[in-house]
Amino acid sequence: MEGKSYQRVPRVKIREMRDDYMKFELRDTDASVANALRRVMIAEVPTVAIDLVEIEINSSVLNDEFIAHRLGLIPLTSDRAMSMRFSRDCDACDGDGQCEFCSVEFHLRAKCHSDQTLDVTSKDLLSSDHTVVPVDFSDSAGMESSEQKGIIIVKLRRGQELRLRAIARKGIGKDHAKWSPAATVTFMYEPDIRINEELMDMLTLDEKKAWVESSPTKVFDFDPKTEKVVVVDPEAYTYDDEVIKKAEAMGKPGLVDIIAKEDSFIFTVESTGAVKASQLLLNAIEVLKQKLDAVRLSEDTVEADDQFGELGAHMRGG
Amino acid sequence: MDPQPEPVYYICGDCGMEIPLKPNDVIQCRECGYRILYKKRTRRIVQYEAR
Repeated sequence: MEGKSYQRVPRVKIREMRDDYMKFELRDTDASVANALRRVMIAEVPTVAIDLVEIEINSSVLNDEFIAHRLGLIPLTSDRAMSMRFSRDCDACDGDGQCEFCSVEFHLRAKCHSDQTLDVTSKDLLSSDHTVVPVDFSDSAGMESSEQKGIIIVKLRRGQELRLRAIARKGIGKDHAKWSPAATVTFMYEPDIRINEELMDMLTLDEKKAWVESSPTKVFDFDPKTEKVVVVDPEAYTYDDEVIKKAEAMGKPGLVDIIAKEDSFIFTVESTGAVKASQLLLNAIEVLKQKLDAVRLSEDTVEADDQFGELGAHMRGG
Repeated sequence: MDPQPEPVYYICGDCGMEIPLKPNDVIQCRECGYRILYKKRTRRIVQYEAR
């Protein structure tokens, strides 16, 4: 099938990067690509999360399934997840936690012996694999107390006990949100704001100030020296149309022309801590490439679709 | 059929005593006579999906 090539070469410019947060520009591509990237980051980048819980003793106030659910939601460091196997297509085992390729075992033992309430936290989870451990948030936010305790699972009073074994498995956010490595991923179109200087010069100073004030976010400012209205922060514009309505109300339609650039996007990525925000983006691109490979392969041969296993199932499952 | 069925321990809803009960026993606490008894948690390991 020969046809016109729609290939483009997108550019990425990173503006801000922390372990759990990233802001970047994506240019020279379409909304379909930007949205695919966003969706893959949220729902298709694999992580490791607790999936099976075997409770031995639970005399706490929370019931077993409540605790099992809470354990599942704890983010685990998942830098290894990309190279791990899904337990459903692991040949070495049946996914019961005995296999190093697809699962990690955790143990938790806690009993309260004192009159003071005992907090059982994610730090009490003992991992069989030092690369997969509950995410440590202590250094990022809460600097003041050195004894930051992690995520509270349950509280125990005197005599209460919790003893369990948990199996963590690789999974994706599409199966269950606990596997999503992203807290939020958003993108916005970059706005192109053009002020019609001819019309603007016809306004009085008070009118200019009133027009600048009509924007709910600080996009424009009035420069008292030149007596001109200037765009100070185009990205603060929320596509609310307030300044356009204000211009019309002042009898000056066309005072400002705002268009969304259809090939420029500003992304913000917040990670749960399972993988770094930067790694999350790289993993998402890798997953996207694998999916495209599966499409290309299934176009060539029907049999290849079956051979592709996991990805083929992905494409069919939708 | 077991000739000697093992007693099952229950907990009294009033005084908290452990009471062994065999088939056909009266459901009543031997200490305080309270008639509501609670079954104890299984000693077996129970498995849950964390979802």
